[in-house]
Amino acid sequence: MLDFFDLSLHLRPRPETETEASAEELIKTARRFGYAGVAVTNHNDYAEIGAGAGESSNFAYKGIEIRADSVAVLKRKIKIHYGRVAVLAVHGGDEKINEAALQDYRVDILAHPCGEFGRGKGKGRGKGKGGGLNHVLVRYAAENGVALDFNMNAIIQSRGRGERARVLRKMRENLKLVRKYDALPVLTSHAETVYDLRAPREMVALAGLFGMTREEAVRALSEVPRGILEKRWKRWKKGREVEVL
Amino acid sequence: MKFQRLPPTLRERKRYLVFEVRSEWRGEREEEKREVLREIWNSVYSLHGEVGASESNIWLINYAAGVGILRCAHNRVEEVRAALACVHSLNDAAKVGIRVLGVSGTIKGAKRLAHLSISM
Repeated sequence: MLDFFDLSLHLRPRPETETEASAEELIKTARRFGYAGVAVTNHNDYAEIGAGAGESSNFAYKGIEIRADSVAVLKRKIKIHYGRVAVLAVHGGDEKINEAALQDYRVDILAHPCGEFGRGKGKGRGKGKGGGLNHVLVRYAAENGVALDFNMNAIIQSRGRGERARVLRKMRENLKLVRKYDALPVLTSHAETVYDLRAPREMVALAGLFGMTREEAVRALSEVPRGILEKRWKRWKKGREVEVL
Repeated sequence: MKFQRLPPTLRERKRYLVFEVRSEWRGEREEEKREVLREIWNSVYSLHGEVGASESNIWLINYAAGVGILRCAHNRVEEVRAALACVHSLNDAAKVGIRVLGVSGTIKGAKRLAHLSISM
């Protein structure tokens, strides 16, 4: 049996329920769905929530999703959190942020590179070209071992005319680039509650909607995230040796 | 003329998906069943369109206590699975998530799967 991972759970403060309880339930549900591990990557504004639930077991890993408005802020925040979390993700969408994140070897995942619902901010906005990735950025991603996130929640939650079509279109484009440059795709749920979570087989079926083959989807759900947790995609030593010499 | 049963070779090939619904819904059972079915249909329509829906041959066999059995064409299992995964709310209010527990070729097998998962 393969080990599946979901590296994108978000635990948000919710007024009506006790957050610690719902955090635990979310993690328990993920285990029941057949995941071998999850990472809690809260936005940096809520970094502390659910931290207790994550540290005790070797099932839930602690991570963070850095949200920044400018490149300078992003760099500073990466510096603060780097080395303290198992998964360091960056909240993508903005073209400048995307570029800075993909050029930084310390970043593990670029989350939703085309914005949370496929509405990327960029130069070509309004012409159907907005934001997201291009061949140059994906090449950086492949070189620096930054995984590109395919957010299944965007497919699930999108509604209204053509919204889902647009999301799937973007993912198709991204997938093409990922294949070309041999970058690392990773399937994530960005689940905030147990109702947002989907079982691994369902994630694979959803990935099939934008043309991912079964093998690719399984790899993006097992081998790639495992490699992220083990830092297998990073070429540390090479970089360090060059520095020493 | 005597009524003859459709010979097995002419029957449509089917699969039965056993699925589990987790939802915030706190209301009547009958209404829940109706809403779940409606959302499944909406999801199939929006994802695969009328043609896709007709090809998938969907029929709700049974639904009780959060576990249901859904029939579909034998070569449309992954498409239907994706449509089930896309269901995210009941009646625009209660959040919901559907998980497929298993797939079987017979109703009998599907019922066994459903019973196993309920007793668990």
